[in-house]
Amino acid sequence: MFVRTDDKITTSQAAVFLTNTILGAGILTMPRSITQAMKTPDSWLTILLGGVIIVFVILLMVKLCQRFPGQTVFQYAGRIVGKFPGGLLCLLLILYFVITAGFEIRTLAEVTLFFLLEGTPIWAVTLPFVWAGTYLVCGGINSIARVFQIVLPITLFVLLVSFGVSLRIFDINNLRPVLGDGILPVFRGLKSSILIYTGCEVVMTLVAFMQHPNQAAKAMLGGIAIPICLYLLTVIFVIGGLSIDSIITSTWPTFDLVRSFEITGFFVERLEFPLMVVWLMQMFCNFCSFFFQASLGVSQVFKCSFMPVALGMVPLIFLSAMVPKSVQDLFTLGSAIGMMGLILFLLLPVLLSLIWLFRTKGLKQHV
Amino acid sequence: MSFILRQIPDWKIFVQALIALLVPILASKIYKRFYSLIDDRRNDASKKPASDADATPSSTPFSGDYQTDTETIRSRIGANSDLTAREFTMTKLNARATLYFVDGMQSEALLNMRIMEFLAFEATQESLSGSGKAGEQLPFNILTEAPDLDSFNRSVLYGFAGLLIEGLPSGFLIELPNGSNRSISEPLSEALLRGPRLGFSEVLSENTSMLRRQGYSDQLEMKGFRIGTSIQKDLVVAYMKDIVNPELLQEVTARIRKINADFLAESGYVEQLIEDSYSSPFQQVHNTERPDRVINALMEGRIALLLDGTPFALIVPTTFSMLLQSPEDYYDRWLSGSLLRMLRFVAAFVSLMAPAFYISFIAFHPGLIPTELALSIIETRQGVPFPPFIEVLILEFSIEILREAGIRLPKPIGPAMGIVGGLIIGDAAVQAGIVSPFLVIVVAVTAISSFSIPVYSAGITLRVLRFVGMLFAAVLGMFGTTLFFLLLCSHLTKLKSFGVPYLTPASPFRLRDWKDLFFRAPLSLMRQRPAMLKTQKSKRKS
Repeated sequence: MFVRTDDKITTSQAAVFLTNTILGAGILTMPRSITQAMKTPDSWLTILLGGVIIVFVILLMVKLCQRFPGQTVFQYAGRIVGKFPGGLLCLLLILYFVITAGFEIRTLAEVTLFFLLEGTPIWAVTLPFVWAGTYLVCGGINSIARVFQIVLPITLFVLLVSFGVSLRIFDINNLRPVLGDGILPVFRGLKSSILIYTGCEVVMTLVAFMQHPNQAAKAMLGGIAIPICLYLLTVIFVIGGLSIDSIITSTWPTFDLVRSFEITGFFVERLEFPLMVVWLMQMFCNFCSFFFQASLGVSQVFKCSFMPVALGMVPLIFLSAMVPKSVQDLFTLGSAIGMMGLILFLLLPVLLSLIWLFRTKGLKQHV
Repeated sequence: MSFILRQIPDWKIFVQALIALLVPILASKIYKRFYSLIDDRRNDASKKPASDADATPSSTPFSGDYQTDTETIRSRIGANSDLTAREFTMTKLNARATLYFVDGMQSEALLNMRIMEFLAFEATQESLSGSGKAGEQLPFNILTEAPDLDSFNRSVLYGFAGLLIEGLPSGFLIELPNGSNRSISEPLSEALLRGPRLGFSEVLSENTSMLRRQGYSDQLEMKGFRIGTSIQKDLVVAYMKDIVNPELLQEVTARIRKINADFLAESGYVEQLIEDSYSSPFQQVHNTERPDRVINALMEGRIALLLDGTPFALIVPTTFSMLLQSPEDYYDRWLSGSLLRMLRFVAAFVSLMAPAFYISFIAFHPGLIPTELALSIIETRQGVPFPPFIEVLILEFSIEILREAGIRLPKPIGPAMGIVGGLIIGDAAVQAGIVSPFLVIVVAVTAISSFSIPVYSAGITLRVLRFVGMLFAAVLGMFGTTLFFLLLCSHLTKLKSFGVPYLTPASPFRLRDWKDLFFRAPLSLMRQRPAMLKTQKSKRKS
């Protein structure tokens, strides 16, 4: 097949797709949000625990998807619970994707305006970004996955280098005592740690695009392993470098970590510049992923072609990015998105799986 | 309820949202309109497909009557002043015959002495039918029957010697054209320190023979096409029969058959008419003057197109990494080859991004570069009356003009002008306080970097995009530069060359092909052909 017509992605591309969807704003804000909820330096335990839970969630989604080969959740939800309720559930999911995409853009705009372009009107940052995303999304899932494949190695490299260099201010005492207040704070932080895994819902559409759906479980686990490890590293290095007292008061703790030391004699004295750039690229990927999922959802639920939907999605996403009035609002929205993710998870994979089990095993129907 | 009302943004945001919607829609509309204007491959109705070399576009058959045929030929092409028609009698056959040839396109001595003697006194019916023992005594290499009058006329005017004999049903073509040609020399655009000093010439037969001379093989196959509607030219498609992917070959021949042009002056015409995307700044077909480069590409499973009249062969499919590879990477030992190749990747990045970085750092974020460097740059910029963007533009434009002038200048003046333009003007501009010395360094390094790219046309692409990057940087600083890079990535991932994604093996990721991407693995490890080409035989070695 030289001139390919099918729009399928390889196993590794699927894994990278999931990774890039999850790695987003959380990298910068997560240490603060979790620490604020816990007030102890045990955030890394929470992340691990959240990661374990998410792994099971993803496995459940994969198993559900493999029952309907080649179909996304937007197509099979209707087959399980009937056309109308299924459509309603999908609309909720689409709304969630749109809000998340808006949230990511707004976060990006806030960070850009704070660090790079002070005094620039916010639309001047968001509009070009959304348009660039539109250009990519119109290329379909293959182009998106390929861009992810380019960006992810760069991101990993820069992040790991930044953390490696920040070892010089790393102090293990900042991470002690382990479980000083018992196990309870760990569970308190779970709510915020769910937010950082926002985006794992894409598994329900991703599996349909895979060339080898039988490897879906492997790909998705690989895809989730990278963010879990990265978040773990982030939280350990940020807390170890800055201590929880200064984290709670800082808006973007990860940036503060790389700004707090200088490398003399290097081309860049502080690593905030490379970190900033890769974070922008990462946010672009993240945003494009949600953008694509939302457009795909609308086009599949209403059975219309993809391109016009993607173009029509642009103002919606822009509006949802502009709704929060301030950074404070933005973080509130962030926690709300975390809650929405939880509800959606209960609604979609869990409910759908239960109904599907009930109908096939209980009522012996063919779905 | 009131909470929701408070959250509704004001009307300005809605206006912005409308703009956000309109711009992509307009852009896609304009793009589609523009593309339908320049893409004539879609309206198949008006097509006149290219023909295989042996097929005929239009035909007037030979009447078989000598008198009528000579009359027809005279009426059709007799008006040409450089056409000679010699009539003589063939004694053995006892028949009249005419030899047609164009002045200056045949070796005169051979024609006059040996061939005329043979034709007039020795030629028999059997020897001209080209069979048996008599056929071996022909004093010329080629003897083909012209299928019809038109092709006979065309071939004679193209330089063949044509023979029309009374009593025989059709005209013969003897002796290949032997016009004046450039001697074979080292390719100008792709000089190597190590490697064969051999470049293609303007004669198709010479070029194909150079490919054949690369080594003994019965698998190198060349297919001929005639393309062009008013003036026809020969085009040869070369490939390794046992390696090439048959579907790729089909795709290439299908696209060649669709070429619709009256005259193809250079292989660049072919390149532009068969490429996948007209609107991309990146070339999707690789052009080269080096036979060794072509044969190596064929061994990887690619396909080469050679057009008569140009030393530039085309190689398809092309990927981005090919543009930064030089044959020398393979002739040198692997360590030095790898290092040089990585250097080229860095150079490509620098030539694309350096001015954009300069603008975004100096104009927007001086705080992001080391303090002392920032201070020294700002100190040198004291008294420069322009913002960084204009400053960079001035210098970049001067460099580009200088480069363009350097190509046009006669050889003796070229270096002198380069010195005047580069050194004196640059120095004077700094002295006059128009530009900062640091910027002169940046622009000079950028220019040199773009020359280190082995494929000249790829260097042009990067230079064009450099200006776009500068514009992004001037508007949005580092954010804009990052956006520019992302847009470029998005574009490149969408791009395909004959079905092969442009950015392989980097993305889609093919680990097997990474042995020949940023670095070149030792030859003993290069056991397989590129995975991206899906060749018939993937193993290079047994």
